Amino acid sequence: MKQEREVTISPTTRIEGHGKVTIMLDDSGNVADAYFYATEIRGFEYFLRGMEAERLPFIISRICGVCSTAHVLTSAKAIENAYSVEITETAKKLRELLLMGQIISNQSLVFFFLTLPDFWFPPAEDPSKRNIFQIIREKPEIGRKAITLRNFATQILDIIGKREVHIVSVIPGGLINPLKEKERKVLLKASENACRITMEAIELAKELFDKNWLEFRKAGDYKTNYMALTRDDSIEFYEGKVKVINPEGKTLSMFNSQQFMEYVEEKRFGWTYAKFAYLKALGWPNGIVQAGPTPRINVNKNAETEFASRELKEFKRKFGNPAHATLLFDYARLIDLIYACERAKEILEDENLTREDVRVKVKPRSGSGIGVVEAPRGTLAHEYRLTRHGRLERMKLIIPTQINNAAININVKNAAAEFIHGGEIKPGLLNRIEMVIRAYDPCIKCATRSVGESLCVEVRNFDGKLLKVLSS
Amino acid sequence: MKVSIISLTCCAGCVSSFLNAGEALLEILSGDFEIVYSPTFIDLKEIPEVDLAIVEGGVRTQADENLIREVRAKSKVIVALGICATHGGITTLGNLMSVKRLLEREYTLIDTGRLPELKDLMYPICNFVDVDYYIPGCPPMPFLIVHSLKSIVSGKMPMRHQSVVCTECHRKIIPAKLDRLYGVYEKEVDPEICLVSQGFICLGSLTREGCGAPCPRAGFTCFGCRGPADSLLYRTRDIYALLVKVISKRTGIPEENVKKELYRNPFVFHTFTFSKFERFKARERII
Repeated sequence: MKQEREVTISPTTRIEGHGKVTIMLDDSGNVADAYFYATEIRGFEYFLRGMEAERLPFIISRICGVCSTAHVLTSAKAIENAYSVEITETAKKLRELLLMGQIISNQSLVFFFLTLPDFWFPPAEDPSKRNIFQIIREKPEIGRKAITLRNFATQILDIIGKREVHIVSVIPGGLINPLKEKERKVLLKASENACRITMEAIELAKELFDKNWLEFRKAGDYKTNYMALTRDDSIEFYEGKVKVINPEGKTLSMFNSQQFMEYVEEKRFGWTYAKFAYLKALGWPNGIVQAGPTPRINVNKNAETEFASRELKEFKRKFGNPAHATLLFDYARLIDLIYACERAKEILEDENLTREDVRVKVKPRSGSGIGVVEAPRGTLAHEYRLTRHGRLERMKLIIPTQINNAAININVKNAAAEFIHGGEIKPGLLNRIEMVIRAYDPCIKCATRSVGESLCVEVRNFDGKLLKVLSS
Repeated sequence: MKVSIISLTCCAGCVSSFLNAGEALLEILSGDFEIVYSPTFIDLKEIPEVDLAIVEGGVRTQADENLIREVRAKSKVIVALGICATHGGITTLGNLMSVKRLLEREYTLIDTGRLPELKDLMYPICNFVDVDYYIPGCPPMPFLIVHSLKSIVSGKMPMRHQSVVCTECHRKIIPAKLDRLYGVYEKEVDPEICLVSQGFICLGSLTREGCGAPCPRAGFTCFGCRGPADSLLYRTRDIYALLVKVISKRTGIPEENVKKELYRNPFVFHTFTFSKFERFKARERII
């Protein structure tokens, strides 16, 4: 009889949302397949039909409370695209600033609260201690740094977005309120402080990363295509073209955001509520592509701000171009953070930012539009079809976690194959798999517009009977 | 005090909001407040016995229901944080459609053996377990969360917010003379006058206060993310009729016409609360 067994990890911890991993073993006890899957569904695509476009950006942000601002901006851009409206320069700058706030808030959350404990404590550390609260207890100044960075982001979102989670100020046509000079000064001052802290953070990260690099490298370097926004070969978050490169670094395609859906296709599997996105031209599985911090660096040649540019070059020199190692996502995330702080400061230094022309009038009409921004986890696209009264007829969303979904699954399988031989499970499997998943910082909430999951390992025999549960 | 943070079906925005509390967060963490379980931050897989469980999200799947029942059995006090936990939240809009249709439309391939079964509706957690405190909001403001938690930790009843958002909004209510209602992008917002008086459909007059009215202050209509105020939490209260009256009074548009305009708009009221709310007696515990 064929002895198939299953190893399940549920819930996956220290990622946003709850996840689950199942590893299938073949009759000789080696890894046959591995899945990382989403177990929830909320159905945003369906229940929002009929909603007026003016309310959409505000409501659609409820897909994810962690990257809500990215969703708001993408949504507003898609509607403006459908209405053929061009917003003012001032509005564009304020929106980019909001997006920088989003990047800072998210990347600092992920670095300090989710991944830092993996670098900080040796793998043998008691899992109940491997968390940020323990680090804060041991070294309160780390906690203070994390909080200061997040405070800066919160301030941006609060002052310009008017709420710090699920902002309300961005509407199709621009923003509701202009920025006041007094507010600009407050933010500018905070931005200087934030820039200083990110520099300290990257020094800390580099030190910890260098120490663990040999170990981290083992976590795999699955080579895929990479996708990110670009403007003149520089890192760009709000506007610009979408560029895709192949694993050798050669440009595969470069297209406008309005063409996004012509290039990217979705695929579903029966075992997960989250869909998979891939490049249409190359088909499945050749078209598997990754987005996010490392791809942003791989796709672009430089960054326009001083320190980010320096760090980006150092990154390319150290890890190759394109860089493939999975855990480099954690390193690259800090380069995002530096760029976002510097760019926010740059935008805030511009005195024209307080101009009053932040809004143009829009007129609802039928049509479809696509909005694309670079969200913390990668390229995010919304496509809407609107009726002539400006109501939602149909929508399609491509979320970074959907793009990375295939790569995450393959990486999980590779990690599992390294630790499981002949039915024997070597210690460290759980943490390794979680680290790989955590590197992508997957947001299951986004990918399923739904609930989440978390990581525990179950070993089952061929008829599904539970043999053993591994949990930390 | 041992604390656990539980996530059910939600967007994780409420915990983000808690983390945005900045210095106040560090202050809480340095006191008698030890977070021992939270899949988002801590690698513990088993739900421990705790003094206080903070629950974000509502119940959409059978797994959610099992989890919240286990949490109730192992926790002395449960705080429902955010509108999804207290009233069902945005996901309740999916209650307009049957689960079967929801899955058929998109997920024809789904192998339900491997995934948790969806419940017929999205429910707030109070349909399954007793809840000690409710903090509605999408998400609740960081200061509201922190102040409430501080009181709860010290064993006191947190300050309750019973009235409506209008009490926290600076805008002046005037009886206007308008001929119709407006969408937010149809005209510029006057910075001083009540949004309803300007013809926008703002739900501030129905919604629970406590948020500081950030949306109407900025010139964006209130969406009702804190749920209905105390005075509306009786079965006999007709929220719809009340809103028609308020709008008619402040805009000068006849009630009949207001009704017609509201009917055309399917997403006015129950954006966050379209579910069964089982325990009306719980109103004394809504913060």
